[in-house]
Amino acid sequence: MSRTFVEMAGRRLSLSNLEKDLYPSYGFTKAHVLEYYRRAAPFILPHLKGRALTFKRYPEGVEKDFFFEKRCPSHRPAWVKTAEIPQDNGERMTFCLINDLETLMWAENLASLELHVPLARADSPETPDSMVFDLDPGEQADILECARVALILRDLLSRVGLASYVKTSGKKGLHVYVPLDRKGTTFEDTKTFSKAVAGIMQKHYPDLVTAKMAKKERNAKVFINWSQNDASKTMVCVYSLRAREKPMVSFPLEWRELENQSTSGDPERLQVTHSEALSRAEKKGDLFREVLVKEQKLPHL
Amino acid sequence: MAVQGIWSGTISFSLVAIPVRLVKAIEPGRISFRLLHSKDYSPLARRMFCPEEETMVPPDEIIRGYEIVPDKYILMTDEELESVSPERSRTIEIVEFIDMKEVDPVYYDHPYYLVPSKGGEKAYRLLAEAMHRINKAGLAKFVLAEREYLVAITSRDGALAVTTLHYSDEILSDEDFSPKKGKIAAEEQSRMKKSIEQMIEDFEPKKYADERRKKLMHLLAAKAKEKPLVEAPAVEEEEGEAPGDLVAALEESMRKVKEKR
Repeated sequence: MSRTFVEMAGRRLSLSNLEKDLYPSYGFTKAHVLEYYRRAAPFILPHLKGRALTFKRYPEGVEKDFFFEKRCPSHRPAWVKTAEIPQDNGERMTFCLINDLETLMWAENLASLELHVPLARADSPETPDSMVFDLDPGEQADILECARVALILRDLLSRVGLASYVKTSGKKGLHVYVPLDRKGTTFEDTKTFSKAVAGIMQKHYPDLVTAKMAKKERNAKVFINWSQNDASKTMVCVYSLRAREKPMVSFPLEWRELENQSTSGDPERLQVTHSEALSRAEKKGDLFREVLVKEQKLPHL
Repeated sequence: MAVQGIWSGTISFSLVAIPVRLVKAIEPGRISFRLLHSKDYSPLARRMFCPEEETMVPPDEIIRGYEIVPDKYILMTDEELESVSPERSRTIEIVEFIDMKEVDPVYYDHPYYLVPSKGGEKAYRLLAEAMHRINKAGLAKFVLAEREYLVAITSRDGALAVTTLHYSDEILSDEDFSPKKGKIAAEEQSRMKKSIEQMIEDFEPKKYADERRKKLMHLLAAKAKEKPLVEAPAVEEEEGEAPGDLVAALEESMRKVKEKR
């Protein structure tokens, strides 16, 4: 096994097998993955900070097996910050917090291509700071149908006074986020609200939308997955790489862009690659910043 | 001495309520060993293994089953278990006072001490002394770590001790083990009594020690002096080349890969 030692902010980090091809058909090695996250750090770190991380690790690359790792590995360096979060079984589990570049690099050295985070912060794991609509297209639908649903959803939410923000999932779907003020909001509230919204959408656009989990219900429709609004669920973090053939990124879009692209008829134009993600973020800044700072009150149903 | 409490609350009966902490009374003398990997001395971790799938099972895929007959289980959720657990309580409520001599030692489970918390010192001393004078023990029910215990509270040299007791249905009957009754000659009986009486001493526990433990401690001390210690591999600080700069290291790696292609 090849090892490279680097020092960052006085911390010593051992990087292993940097030449390993993690996206073999694209020639993207672990060094490329680390380089992507190093440059994406100013944008992704605020969204990872203080959140109990779930690693999705691909030690043998995207074509081989992966595994989810929730428990912070016991072989972590002493400087990796952690949080204890009570689990459904009543026990507490130690999660890693990625609060700085060194920890991000350590996590990527473990081939954690995808970084998943909950909708609540580790210091208040029962209080969501945003509500999410996870738009997941059926087999005969694609990201363009998701875009249509997202735009309707945005209009519906704005009519009850809620601003929303959209990002690509990095796969076939879109994620619509509604930032909240965290004042006493519970996952029960966000789940009830998002379920009701999904139900309304399904009723008015039965050919386009389903609020039911069953795969066979989806087909050419878009499934609005409201059940992600749960303390035990995680969403792929904005700016995280995805494990597919090409290194695509879960990337924030402007609503205007989504409007323009949704009529273009080319689903590929809504997919953002690693290099495009970096150049766009470095030029425009963090389009998802509002999700962290905007405070909105969830209206009563 | 600052001892860490296992539990804190109040001990009470009738109108008295004294703030106290529960601390352990024994430090088991067992010497324990870590299991290491012989190749590199890494401490080993326990993992749950599914023999059917030949794979490690993550914690979120582990559930409980009560084996009612071989290979048939009743599933039990955490919620169901919790529904039968006693409510957590902050009091040790003495319900009666008894004579400790009446309690067969087979009932004794685990000893603890009670330490007075701030503001409870005077009432604590009063209770401990009164119990000592009348030579009685308090019997109480008490919830610790989701289990309800029957406990005896005794007073010894001004301090209160708590002993958890087994419930009577946990005690196995000695009937099956007692020998059959039969006649024994009076002469034989008095001879046995005499030989016992010759060996009567005061109980001095200090005279006895765990001999294996003593020998093991000596062996460990000798080995620590003679042989160098083996060390687990450091997780983070590893010997190697001088650390470099992250950007330089990544660029170097990417250049190498490009050249190969």
